[in-house]
Amino acid sequence: MKVIRVLAAVLLILALSIFFLVRNIGSGLGAMSVQNGNWVTNVSTGSTDAGIMLKATIAIGGLLASTRENSMYYRLNSVDGQALRLNCRYRVDGNDYDADWWSITAYGWDNFLIPNPQKRYSFNNENILRSPDGSWVIYVAAEEQAANWLPVGPSGAPSWRKRSGHNFDLLLRLYTPGKAYLERPHSAPLPRVILESCS
Amino acid sequence: MKFLKWCLGILLCAYLGQYLLALALPNLVMEVLYHRGGVKQAYNTLYIKPRADEASREVVRPSPDLFYGSCIYNLAEGPLLIEAKVPERYWSMQFYQMNTDNYAGMSNRRDEHYRIGTFVKVTLIGPDSNPEDYSGDVIQSPSQRGIMLLRVSAIGEAAAALTALEQSHCGPA
Repeated sequence: MKVIRVLAAVLLILALSIFFLVRNIGSGLGAMSVQNGNWVTNVSTGSTDAGIMLKATIAIGGLLASTRENSMYYRLNSVDGQALRLNCRYRVDGNDYDADWWSITAYGWDNFLIPNPQKRYSFNNENILRSPDGSWVIYVAAEEQAANWLPVGPSGAPSWRKRSGHNFDLLLRLYTPGKAYLERPHSAPLPRVILESCS
Repeated sequence: MKFLKWCLGILLCAYLGQYLLALALPNLVMEVLYHRGGVKQAYNTLYIKPRADEASREVVRPSPDLFYGSCIYNLAEGPLLIEAKVPERYWSMQFYQMNTDNYAGMSNRRDEHYRIGTFVKVTLIGPDSNPEDYSGDVIQSPSQRGIMLLRVSAIGEAAAALTALEQSHCGPA
């Protein structure tokens, strides 16, 4: 009887450990994460200094990420506390940033590129249509939009595996970022994301 | 009272247990990547991946704006020589050990601009080798196994980037 009780306790510990870990990983980039508006980054990503939880989070959601000197990754999965949804339209306003080049990519909740007939997964500093003053606007939506439409839709993985509240997220990559990002990642200029409407 | 003690003990062990699992997870994920990669490509050779799209599901969050070349390495048989042509656009060579750490890397940006147009030659040695026994650019891997990843900008004129990757090489030194 005692053996069964101990075995049950061990199994329960294992199950609860997995539950805590999944919850911890799902909550973001860990204690060292930096918030900049709705965007979140972690300055230790890829680094040998990264903590246990950050390394686990990166292993699941950002494997083979580089250190910040090579590229910085800002992730956005909610706007003003509201998770990104497929039935909403988002407007991303931006300009140029102090980096060698940048890109904004939409990923499904499964961390892979979102299937879409247009095969458009991202915009970067070269292929984006700009206003005469250099600024640009991206519309993120499932429904077709005018210029700079970043289509989103259901992720490729089966929906029963979904654990997160958001349907997709946006990842801003800044390659060889300038000092502002390396030294002040919480206040350096980033694109602004606005929830425009939901159906 | 005894039941309460059991519950508290289980919760405490589970709370601590998540950190043990988190410690093991990066190695586990890299092992899967290492073995799956070994089925798809030979170890210690450069594999150029097709441009990422929705069907690219080997590694999470692939960038559609980059071309990737990977060399899954095992230094048990000795060092590797990695040669890579450096294009004008963004290029980087990053090294990852089996716990996902990006332990070394180089690029052609900022103060490394001088690499553009050159052939980078890196000798990758194992943790027990002596770097002083080798000349040129030497990188010491903290683990016997790992992954080297070449990233080349795919935006704009893609042909030059692809050519640079195709002229790159990873193999025994």
